[in-house]
This record gives sequence, C-alpha cells and structure tokens, in this order.
Amino acid sequence: MKVMELAESLSSCRVLVVGAGGIGCELLKNLVLTGFKNIEVIDLDTIDVSNLNRQFLFQKKHVGKSKAQVAKESVLRFCPSANITAYHDSIMNPDYNVEFFRNFQLVMNALDNRAARNHVNRMCLAADIPLIESGTAGYLGQVTVIKKGQTECYECQPKPTQKTFPGCTIRNTPSEPIHCIVWAKYLYNQLFGEEDADQEVSPDTADPEAAWNPADAAARATASNKDGDIKRVSTKEWARSTGYDPVKLFNKLFKDDIMYLLTMDKLWKKRKAPLPLDWTEIHHLEFSQEEACGTGLKDQQVLGVQGYAQLFHRSVETLRSQLIEKGEGAELVWDKDDPPAMDFVTAAANLRMNVFSMNMKSRFDVKSMAGNIIPAIATTNAVIAGLIVLEALKTLNSEFDQCRTIFLNKQPNPRKKLLVPCALDPPNPSCYVCASKPEVTVKLNVHKTIVQALQDKILKEKFGMVAPDVQIEDGKGTILISSEEGETEANNNKFLSDFGIRNGSRLQVDDFLQDYTLLVNLIHSEELEKDVEFEVVGDAPDKAPTPSVPEEGKNIANGNKDSAQPSTSSKAAAEDDDVLIVDSDEEPSSSTMEASPESSNRKRKHHGTDTDDAASKRKRLDQQPADDDEDIIALD
Amino acid sequence: RTMTDHKTSKEQKYDRQLRLWGDHGQEGLENAHVCLINATATGTEILKNLVLPGIGAFTIVDGHKVSGEDVGNNFFLTSSSIGKNRAQAATELLQELNSDVSGNFVEESPDKLLDNDPEFFHRFSLVIGVQLPESTCLRLGSVLWDAGVPFLVCRTYGLIGYMRLIVKEHTVIESHPDNALEDLRLDQPFTELKHHIESYDLDSMEKKDHSHTPWIIVVAKYLEKEGNNGTPEDEENFEEAIKNVNTALNPTKVPSATEDIFNAEQCENITSQSPSFWVMAHGVRDFVRNEGNGKLPVRGTIPDMIADSDKFIKLQNVYRDKAMKDAAVVSKHVEALLQSFGKPPESISEQEIKLFCKNAAFLRVVRCRSLAEEYSMDTFNKDEITSCMDSADSEMVLYLMLRSVDRFYQQHSRYPGVYNYQVEEDINKLKLCVNSLLQEYSLNVNVKDDYIHEFCKEAHCLSFVAGSAAQEAIKIITHQFVPFNNTFLYNAMSQTSATFQL
Repeated sequence: MKVMELAESLSSCRVLVVGAGGIGCELLKNLVLTGFKNIEVIDLDTIDVSNLNRQFLFQKKHVGKSKAQVAKESVLRFCPSANITAYHDSIMNPDYNVEFFRNFQLVMNALDNRAARNHVNRMCLAADIPLIESGTAGYLGQVTVIKKGQTECYECQPKPTQKTFPGCTIRNTPSEPIHCIVWAKYLYNQLFGEEDADQEVSPDTADPEAAWNPADAAARATASNKDGDIKRVSTKEWARSTGYDPVKLFNKLFKDDIMYLLTMDKLWKKRKAPLPLDWTEIHHLEFSQEEACGTGLKDQQVLGVQGYAQLFHRSVETLRSQLIEKGEGAELVWDKDDPPAMDFVTAAANLRMNVFSMNMKSRFDVKSMAGNIIPAIATTNAVIAGLIVLEALKTLNSEFDQCRTIFLNKQPNPRKKLLVPCALDPPNPSCYVCASKPEVTVKLNVHKTIVQALQDKILKEKFGMVAPDVQIEDGKGTILISSEEGETEANNNKFLSDFGIRNGSRLQVDDFLQDYTLLVNLIHSEELEKDVEFEVVGDAPDKAPTPSVPEEGKNIANGNKDSAQPSTSSKAAAEDDDVLIVDSDEEPSSSTMEASPESSNRKRKHHGTDTDDAASKRKRLDQQPADDDEDIIALD
Repeated sequence: RTMTDHKTSKEQKYDRQLRLWGDHGQEGLENAHVCLINATATGTEILKNLVLPGIGAFTIVDGHKVSGEDVGNNFFLTSSSIGKNRAQAATELLQELNSDVSGNFVEESPDKLLDNDPEFFHRFSLVIGVQLPESTCLRLGSVLWDAGVPFLVCRTYGLIGYMRLIVKEHTVIESHPDNALEDLRLDQPFTELKHHIESYDLDSMEKKDHSHTPWIIVVAKYLEKEGNNGTPEDEENFEEAIKNVNTALNPTKVPSATEDIFNAEQCENITSQSPSFWVMAHGVRDFVRNEGNGKLPVRGTIPDMIADSDKFIKLQNVYRDKAMKDAAVVSKHVEALLQSFGKPPESISEQEIKLFCKNAAFLRVVRCRSLAEEYSMDTFNKDEITSCMDSADSEMVLYLMLRSVDRFYQQHSRYPGVYNYQVEEDINKLKLCVNSLLQEYSLNVNVKDDYIHEFCKEAHCLSFVAGSAAQEAIKIITHQFVPFNNTFLYNAMSQTSATFQL
C-alpha cells in the first residue's frame, strides 16, 4: 500500500488547517494520529459554550479563549511530539499571502463561511497548493479536493446567492416571520450597535408601492406628531434622548410607527392592515388564551403579547446597562449566543409579528432563523474529518485521479450507500476565478451605480475580493479604485458614468493579495428589476430558491453561513447584507434544516453506481453544507 | 434555582443538537447507559462521540493493559498511561470531555465476564463491541439477543471498516421521514372540519378577507363544488392552493408499514411485559378499527401558509382539537389494555400517546437477524452473498475476507501479516482460510487474490468509522431515525460503502 510508504514522508510534510471548530478539532486529532508532525492552524474565533457538544478539544474552562490556541494545547497534551503553530487570526488578513501558502504541501479547510472559502481557494490556486474543502450540516457532510489545473476550483460552479429582502418589505410590509426577525436584528444594531444606513427600521416613505399622494401629508404629520419628537433623527439618537426608556421605545416602534404606516393606505388595500400595540392597553387586556404553546424546554414555548412585551422591557434595560458599562460611544455587537441580545430580538420580532397578524415563534425558532443556525453534531464531523485525511493522503501522493468528492447521507440511500463518492470534474474553462484569463460580464446602470457600490457589493461581496484595484481600460489607464488608502476615496460617491464608463466599458480588476486579475465587461442597463443593483451575466438572477429546493422558505442548510463575510467575525455579522430564509414549524427545526441537502440527495439517487455524474454532483455542490463550526451568520 | 441554571446551561451546550433530535431525544440520551468493550482507538472514538452529546453513563470493559501501540493510535491515551489498565486510562480521559456523563470501567475481559456473570450485560441500553474475536462476538451476541439488548459490533481492519447491528426488535416512533405528506383529510373531512369549511362563504367575502383565507379552505371549497370550472383568483393564497394541491390531496389511508405493525404478533398479543410501543400500537389499532372508521388518528398539524393569524389559528385548532380528541380515544383503549393486566394507566403517559398518535403514519420496526442466524449453515443469507459477488469488487468480498481473517485468527492466534517476514507465508495460509470458508458454506464465488494480499498487509487503524458507529448508536438510544439493517462495510481506499442484510 502506497499509504504506508507515504507515512514516512508525513513527518516532514507541512500542512495548514484553516479553522479549529467542529471539523477542525477532529481533523487535528486525525492528523497527528496519522503521523503528521508539522501542522499550522488558524482560526479567528473564540470558544463558546455551544461548541462543547462536539469540539472535543475544548472544555468549559476554555470558554472565551482562542480556538486555535486551545486546540493546539489540547492536541499537544495527547501528542507532545507534534509541532503545531496556532494563529488566532483571520485567514483573510494580508499577512497570510501567497508566500505564506507556499510553505505548505497541503491546505485543509474546516471553515464555516463562503467568503473565507472563496479566499482560501484563490490563495491555493495562486500558490498552486492542493486544497481539501469540506463541510457539514446536521447529519450531512461533504469532502472534495481542489488542485489547480486538474479539478474544478471552489468557485467553478456558481453558488446560489442568498435571498435578500427588499428594504420596504422589512420596513413597511413584512409578510413572514423572517421579515420581522431581520427587522428586529436591524433594530438591535440601530439602537445598540453600529448604525448602518442600509438597516433602517422606520417606515419607508419612499416605498414605490405606497405612491404617496402629497395630499396625504397632513394626515401623516398628525400621526407622526403624536410623540412630539418623531423627527427624522436617527433611531439611536432618539432612543438615547429618552434614556432608552423601554416603554417609550415600545410605543414608538409598535404603536406610533405602525400608525404612521397605516396612513400609507395604498399598502393595505390588498393586505391585512397592521394593528398597533399600546403599552398601557396590552397590560389591561385579559388574554384568555395566553397559552404557552409547546411543552418541554422553556426556549420552545411561545409567549403571549404580554410576555413578549415584558421580555422586551427587560432586555432593553439589560442592554442599556451593558451599553453604559462599556462607556461613551460604545457599541454592542449582536450575537445569537448572547442571552440579552437574543431576548431582545425574540421579543421585538414577535411583537412585530403580532402587529402584522402572524403566528408568533418561540425563542428557539427565532434563534434558528436569526442566527442561521445549522445543527451540528460530533458524529458527522468525525466522519468528515476521517474522510479528509484519506483524501489528504492521496493528494500528497499526487494520486489526483483517485481523489473523490464524497457525500455523506443521513441514512443509506436507495442504493444502500451511506457515502457517495463522485469523480472530480476538470476545471470549468469559463470559471471567473481559475480560468487562465478570468473574465466576467456585469449588467448595471452606469448612471445609478456609484464607485463605492462597485467596490463593496460587486467586487468584494459578489466576486470575493479583499482589496481590489480597478483600472478602466479606456486607453488612458484611469485608476478608478486603489487599494492604497487615501488614493481614490474621492471617487467613492461618484457614478460610474462620471468616469466615462458606459455600455461596453471594460475594467481590469486586480487583487494583489489573492494574486488574482479579473476582466469585468460592463453592460449598461436601465431595466434591472426593482431592488436589483446589478446582474452577473450567465448567473441566473436569483438563485435563492434553486430547483432542488422543494419549497421556498426551506432553503437553509446550504448557505446559512455561506454569506459574504466571515461569520465568525462579529464585525462582519453586523455588516453583511444577506439573510437566508429559514422556515420552521413546531418541530425542532430539524426537518427544515435538512430540507435542501436532502432534496439534492433525491436528485442523485438514480445515478451510476460507483461514481455519480457531474451534473448531479453540481446540484449538491450548490447546496454545499456550510459546515458546522460556528453556526452564526451574518444576517444583516 | 440551581436546577434551572443547570438546565439552561445544558440547553446552551446542546443547542446545536437539540435542533436535530429535540429535548425528548436528548432525554433518551441522558438516560442511556452504554457499554464499550475494548478501549481501542476505534472504541474510544465511538465513545467520545457519545460522551460529547451527553449520554447518561458509559462503562468500559477491557482486560488489556495500555501498550505503546495504543498510545500511538489512540488519541485519548498518553505515554504516561502505558502499563495501566486500558479501561481505566480511557475512562479517566473520556470523562474529562463532559462532566455531565458518568464514566465507569471494569478491568476484565468480556470472556471472563461472560463466564462468571453474563447478566452483567443485561443492564445496558446498548453494548458496543470493538475488535472482538469471533468466538467472543458470537457468545456475547447470543447473551444480548436473549436479553433484548441492542449490540453494535465494530471493527476496522486495514482500510476496511465494518459494522454490524444486532437487535431483535428496534421500534422507532419518530422516524423523521423525508417529504412526509400532510394529513389534512380533505378527501374525507371529519365533521368538525366540515363545519369549519362551511363557516366560510368565499363569494360574499371582502377582498382582504378573501385573500387571507387559508389555502386548505380554498381547496376544500373547490372540492365541494362538483364540476367546478371557476378560474382561480389572482391572490397569493390561491397560488399557494394550486401549488399544494398535489400533495394535499393524498388519499387518507393507513400506510402499509403501519398496517404491518398492527398485524404483527407483538401487537396482537399484548401482555404485561409488552413494551409501551406495542401497547400503544394496539391502542391505535383499536381506534382505527372502531372510532376511526379505518383511519389513523388525525396528526393535528398543518403547514404554514398565507392567512391572517385569526383564520390560521382557528383552522389549526380544528385539526389540533380533533387530534387531541383522537388521542384521548386512543388513551382510553390503552388504559383499558393496561388495566386488563393490572397495570396503572399512568404507566404510559398522555404525552407519549400523543407523540405516538402524531407519528402513527411513520412508525417503524427494525428487526435484524441474529449472529447465530448469520453464521449457521442453514440460515445464512446465501442469496445476498452470491448475488453481490456477481461483481468481484462488491464490498461483499470484504465481508468474506473479514470472515476468513477470523478463521486465520482462530487457527494461528494472530492476524495475518503482523510480522513482515511471514507475509508470503501468511498469504498462503489466508488463502486456505478463504477456501475453507467458501467450501464450508458451499459458496460458489470467486475471491480475487488481490484482496488476499491486501489483507496480509500491516493493519492501519481507522478512527473515522467511529463517527458512523456513534451515529447509529444515537439512533438506537433515542429511538429516532431508522438505523441500518444490518451490516455496513466501508472501503477507505475506494471511498465506497455498502449495507447488506446478513
């Protein structure tokens, strides 16, 4: 067996493990047991209580400490001869450049978000180092091998983008619980966190559907004057001026703002109008069926309006004192595992659901949706980490033809396979990342798109760059965006058309760190759909409900954290724009969670015996489980 | 207060798994006592994967002392434990992973325990045997089979993983089927539902109300009007109705798997010893045959849909109330049954019955064949083996090789290829074992020499089989999801796997 000959070379081989979470812990253990001696591990995250059910290198006493560091120490306790370097840092930090990646014979991802996966994919392509990619979600898992020029890269097949919600749905006309949950998370940031203009929570007067008639203005003015000071000041400023008075906040959010919305009567012609809540009134109401639905754990009960009003009151007070404790100008960061933050979102979201006549949700369910939680268990991670090592051995032996993408099913499929290996596909020649001259075409409105949006939403978020430099191919080599600070900031708020960019213009985009150059062809269009800023040609416009997902709204497991920003970075969690839809019912959301990867399983079941065909695999890849690790997400 | 604190901290720690198996699944785990025989690398890995999610207790049975080799391939043993008893050393280290779990060990070989105190094994919820010699496996298998204790056999050999589940009868209430159809009874609405549907008059409703009518009502109304060829309204709820109509209009009938359970002998003859699953199955059967008019109790859940809160809750309550009523009738049957052999009615809780009724359409019973049946010349599954062996590289060949290796061990008290200088010799000896096995069982199949060579190479331990093994263990313990039946083989070189019924 070649494996055995290989064993000797393992002690001299250097490998990088990106992520020390669920898969990472298992993987580190397997690597030292297999005989790897030189291991570097990087993770920017710290240990949380909810990690302990599977990340076995961590114990209660380690909560709050660096995952990479503790993982290293625990492994060394059992295997003192290993040579492990730990970095408590983001892999996207420019220190980890192509040279850094070239130090290794192999890189193994144990990540939980798409942005970092994209980035490591590019770094490994640039350094020409093989990469093993993996992920788990609940009972499902997947491992694959990426080798420049020989296999598909992580980005060869477009992945479904996350479902986002139009601003006016969030602010004016929520129709599903998730809309209220997103609103509640925005509200948290508006009140306690970093304010973001894209996360407004107050009524949106510019809603095209409302088609304001100026004659209505008077009515509006009266409605909004009830509280005297509902001027268009920032929500935070206003809240601060009231001393974060929970009752005033309550009445503004659930009464006055709602009454204001009611004046936008066009919105309610075909919809059921919202019903404002008044703090004093609800406390006088007798709630005959204040039934606590759902037995068992406290978290799984649905409280009544009064209960949520009380929870709102309590959590605002707690968060207020947290804010005071932190001192002037401090900001809180939303974290689904922080009880007061979660209480606040649960309460605010449910009160809004009540206002908009929706069925309220338990804290447990709200947490699933707000945190985009993917269930995660030790067993799946153990299986996947074992498979990674086996692929690693073949990779180090350069047996790429033997390498496989392997899917782990929940239970044996109709062909009685629990594990389904698929042959690796060759690179996609038109991949915008690993093709020899990557090129892409983007449709946008040059008169409405500002340089900042090009940089943040298109180049960074959509195309996964970290620090892009952009040059216009106009014969003059005009620099539109420079990654050097202070060079092109003045351009940020100008429209693309201000630089002579028009239909057919080409941009040369460079990311120095990723050693990646992309040629962007622009198509000017005035006919993009509402709320769509740009479209990548050849990319189906909205992939959120992929054909393999049975129902819209059950689309979780794939993306969850596959958001544009590293989910583990709390900063990012506050910045990201996307939200995934998660539906849930009274079941502990298991059924929901598994919905999408399962359905893709179904698609595969008729295929060949040993290795499944590429098309079916692609279905599954679209659904790439996000991995366990930390299941946060970056919602808003 | 501390009780609540403890509960909350558990909720936090287990948050990510509660979302898969719920708090009652977790309770099942916490009440389980698992026995591991042999704290090898695979064994401790399996246990690690059960200790982390929080099983109640484990007991390791192992007569071996920790060797240098153990320390090399077992993450939980360190060089300072060399010479100590392996059960003790592993228990100490596994215990550290989760303070909620109680760890015990017995420094004795399973054979000795079987000699002196076979009843020792009766107390466990599950016994996991790792790297057991064939003789021990068969002996223990028969003790556990008679006692009705599930037995999971695991072994890794070279790059081959093997698992065998031996359980006489394993009942699953929550099988968590994929794509379960709703139970809406639109083809045969019950009285309360009929009345509720009648309370709607779609034609005289205002637009706002009309567009917030649950699609279930829309479909029901449509069904009422025979020969209806009206055009659907351009409203979201109508779109939803059209989308759902195919899955909503499934005929109400007892699924065949549930029917089989009703007809099983265990359901027929309830005794005071009958497990609650069968008592409840009997109760539901009585319901179906009497009050239910051939139908299962109503499940009582409806999917989320576009509707205003009020209408939705009213409709939901119609189904929920009916489900409660049906469950209450089932309860009565169960109660009568329990009383008939002098058991208190509360020996099966209201809640259990409700859960059972809700899952009545998804009940599963897994029956594995015993090891004795698998090994006996008269009852072994010859068809499965020969038909699989039509393709020479079927995972079945790995099974035959493992059986041959056991034979080798029986004859030589060691596994083939352990000593490099004997490899050539061992290949021939192993070949003889393969041939005698095939001959004995009159198996006319061909085992390629390649496999015999492969099995003579130095064994390289696999630890990841442990993940799958622990997963199956959790299914058994929680009685949720359907475990495999009954043999699982994994080939790490080709990354292929298969399950067989042997």
